[in-house]
Amino acid sequence: MTDVLEAVDVGYTYPGPTPTIALEGLELAVKDNEFLAVLGPVGCGKTTLLRIFAGFLRPTKGSVRCGGAAIDGPGWQRGYVLQEEAIFPWMTVRENIEFGLRAKGISPEERGKVSGELLTLIGLSAFADAYPKELSAGMSKMVEVARVLATDPAILLLDEPFGALDAQTRARMQDALARLWEQRRKTVLFVTHDAEEALYLADRIVVLSHRPGRVQAQFDVDLPRPRSLETRFSAPFLLLKRQIWEAARDA
Amino acid sequence: MRVRRAVIALLSLAVIYGIAAEIGRGRLPDRIWMGSHYVENIQLLPTFRSLAEEGSFLIESNILVDSIAVSARRVLFGLVLGSLAGILLGLATGWAARVEYLADPWVTFFRFTPALALLPLYVVWFGYGETSKVLLIATNVAVVTLLGAHQGVRGVPRVYLEAAASLGAKGWLVFRKIVLPLAFPDIFASVRVAAGLAWVTIVVAELIDARMPSLGYLLALAGAYPRVPTMLIGIATVGALVLVFDLLALLLHARATRWMKRAA
Repeated sequence: MTDVLEAVDVGYTYPGPTPTIALEGLELAVKDNEFLAVLGPVGCGKTTLLRIFAGFLRPTKGSVRCGGAAIDGPGWQRGYVLQEEAIFPWMTVRENIEFGLRAKGISPEERGKVSGELLTLIGLSAFADAYPKELSAGMSKMVEVARVLATDPAILLLDEPFGALDAQTRARMQDALARLWEQRRKTVLFVTHDAEEALYLADRIVVLSHRPGRVQAQFDVDLPRPRSLETRFSAPFLLLKRQIWEAARDA
Repeated sequence: MRVRRAVIALLSLAVIYGIAAEIGRGRLPDRIWMGSHYVENIQLLPTFRSLAEEGSFLIESNILVDSIAVSARRVLFGLVLGSLAGILLGLATGWAARVEYLADPWVTFFRFTPALALLPLYVVWFGYGETSKVLLIATNVAVVTLLGAHQGVRGVPRVYLEAAASLGAKGWLVFRKIVLPLAFPDIFASVRVAAGLAWVTIVVAELIDARMPSLGYLLALAGAYPRVPTMLIGIATVGALVLVFDLLALLLHARATRWMKRAA
């Protein structure tokens, strides 16, 4: 397996009267088709790391590469789902999903086909022509995920997509994302502060330390897929969860 | 609901006025000193009856209708011309400011420059005809809509631009599909303000360069006599026209922003 995303000795300092060192000496490599969760406390630089990979921030130290090439600005090859709600409320659900295809100059027929498939996959076919105001917060986040999937990027960068949801909705969305990922294997870098969420979704978990963020511990998650409610209460799951909690506590 | 409230407010105002006018009939002085002479038979608060008589005269003689047509035409031309220029410029400066993070002191300069002060200049430049009037309105409208468009573009939230960039969108597509729809409410609000301002501008411009037929002339003429019923009808007509323009604008707005979350 090759590394598709790499961070070598990455440091990032936010400028200002009191510069904030968000990341320091961070080493990370994401393998092809791997679902990697980056777990860390609020303010540990997780979002900074993701924004560097997305191309919106340049590391102040070290380098980041995607498929061996240096990352130079944002692009559709790394589908980025922001932490904030970023669904376009003035477009219908279908137009949202087709936006990236439009940017690529894909014909309307082809766009319709792709969006139709994705809508079925996330179970929102009935809402194709609705405006996002009619969707719940969880569903609009799934539309955002489908929107980056539409252009078929090799990599997904997901920044706490379900952070703002209640526990039940969050679990449902995790299932939806897991199903989506099992159908459309991608390299995923998933940022979260929720250990259980990381465990349920990821192949591997990287725990970041407090600011400045660096890699504190790593865990391979060898739980069988597809995962279900049973997984959440299985002995290996709970054991790993305990180990992660301990690692996070020491961070 | 809003229409009903507006109707109730107007009706109660009319009733209060009617009562005041009836009380004042025969009690208010019927002649006033105009600085050099007395004017007889003045109606300080004309009753509805005399307003109706004056109104039907103005309508039957076609004076009112012609005046409305002429003034509305000027306002419309000026509004369209000024909005086009202002919005296009504002979009451009807003976009440039977004990209380069310019400070905008020039915005303050234009905002507080009263465009009516330009009237003498425009008369010299463009003559006494339609051109100077339409251009005066257009200038007023352009300043307001320029600010609206500029601020609308500046105010586009970062998240949408980043999401669009991540999806591979660039340049024109971002502008057309992300920036324009988001700037629209601000642009629209400025056009509404500008439409009201256009009416203020035209009436004042026509007062100064009073020619037949126009609403400004009607008011100027009424002031020369002076005839209070004509003044009141002129004022009410301008008010009603502003209201009609605003209503049309609101209908358009509602259609263009169906996507927005309705405020509870």
